[in-house]
Amino acid sequence: MNVDAVQTALGTEHAALWTYGMVSAFLGDQAAAVAEGANAHRARRDTTERWLRDHAATPTPPAAAYLPPAPVSDGPSALAALIAVEQDTCAAWRGVLERTDDPALRTSALESLTTAAVRATRWRKIAGSNPASITMPGVASG
Amino acid sequence: MLFAVAAAPLAVACTTEPPPPPPPDPLSALAAQARADAALAKTLTAVPAAAEIARARETHATLLQAEVDRERPPLSSTAPPAPTTPPTPPDPLAALRTSLDESVRDASAAVTSLPAYRAGLVGSVAAGCASLREVLA
Repeated sequence: MNVDAVQTALGTEHAALWTYGMVSAFLGDQAAAVAEGANAHRARRDTTERWLRDHAATPTPPAAAYLPPAPVSDGPSALAALIAVEQDTCAAWRGVLERTDDPALRTSALESLTTAAVRATRWRKIAGSNPASITMPGVASG
Repeated sequence: MLFAVAAAPLAVACTTEPPPPPPPDPLSALAAQARADAALAKTLTAVPAAAEIARARETHATLLQAEVDRERPPLSSTAPPAPTTPPTPPDPLAALRTSLDESVRDASAAVTSLPAYRAGLVGSVAAGCASLREVLA
């Protein structure tokens, strides 16, 4: 059911927003890009909550804290946390794409997937990952 | 006059009564586009990211073609037409950027009208092309 998929996507938006706030202390030289990412996820969270309310669902509230895949203690680990959370966001929005026939929701899910993939690529470039690109964003192996 | 010209091929077509060909699979065009991007990227040996782009677009082509063949198995075992090597454009890097932009646009446009089980695949291809474009930015 696509409401469940959208709730999952909302969960990753909450986690992304939390992670951007948490890493900002370690990425002072990337302050503008961190702020831009945080703003994008905040806007996406808001539109996703609105969509859920419009479909008679109660948006899942954010958790008090989220656990990054690895502890964050410096610039490189902060970048790794951002890359991980953007890739999680890609997977959740791809999940929405696969579960809805609503053209407006498809368009919005695709936009979320694409912008998260571009941000993940930007962070991978800064982190020096090779390859920097993600061949199939939203796919576990991609 | 015009009518006669237009009607002549129609008359020929009617006499032989061929079965109406099914409409082309929209994923076929996306797969061909991926093969063309990969072929173009391979010519850019001086650009460090080109090899990565060629590999990624080959993966896209394989995944898209597999879905095309799954839904409509090819009648013969012939492989999809090999990409014809286009003449090298005067500025291959700019051509690759433009081509990736078009690939993002075409795959994105296809996503809205596809059945849900294909929308995820094509959505990931669109986002993957945007990611490749970001590498070239």
